[in-house]
Amino acid sequence: MEITITTTGVIDQIIITGSIDALTAPQLINTINAHIHDGHPNVIADFSKVEFMSSAGLRAILASVKEARANGGDFRLAAPQPNVEKVLKMSGFHNIVKVFTNVDDALASFESQNNG
Amino acid sequence: MAHTHQISLSAELESLPLFRDLVKTACQNMPEINEQIVYDIQLAVDEVCTNIITHGYEKMDPGSIIMEVEIEPHQVIVSITDFGHPFEPVEPPPPNLNNELDNLKSGGLGLFFVFMSVDDIEYQSSETGNITKLIKKY
Repeated sequence: MEITITTTGVIDQIIITGSIDALTAPQLINTINAHIHDGHPNVIADFSKVEFMSSAGLRAILASVKEARANGGDFRLAAPQPNVEKVLKMSGFHNIVKVFTNVDDALASFESQNNG
Repeated sequence: MAHTHQISLSAELESLPLFRDLVKTACQNMPEINEQIVYDIQLAVDEVCTNIITHGYEKMDPGSIIMEVEIEPHQVIVSITDFGHPFEPVEPPPPNLNNELDNLKSGGLGLFFVFMSVDDIEYQSSETGNITKLIKKY
């Protein structure tokens, strides 16, 4: 798994490539938590390059959502592949994390919130 | 005719991608087994092996996991053998997401995924090891 972070204004995009499993999830949680604590509580996770995700990945998402909201921001997910989206739906995580079909929609959701 | 792929690896998290890869390799050249079915089997295999690695061998010397993938007409059978503590998988209730976010337990989802991803699960434990059998129809 590789993690790349890019910043657009006040919104940060975390691009994740590869598999999120019990081996890689701790690294993802640590990276996102450190980033949030570094003063960037609004995060979009670009999932378009995530090929596989297990329940360990859901735990990472849950931890990230909690951390972002506790710091006055939000963690939103963009562009999951169909298999990964099925895992999100199967577990009901659509009710916990906001999921968007692409990064632009996720960005727009933050912008409209800031303007409103 | 059925064909079989087998691998034996250390019970450590670094082995997880290799177990998932074996599922993909075994299902290659089988046009009837689509990508969704392969993913479902990989998810179940990943969760079962994660449980064995993190709980099955708890407080024991590191052991091994032997995985065998059999492609039969209309079904894939994955047999996962370990030599750790016996743990019979029982279907858990669906995750309760009506709880407040702070109270939500994030554990226990793995077993739920196993039961959601395959058609049948068989388990047997004896002195020669524990065998979890995952059956996925296609």
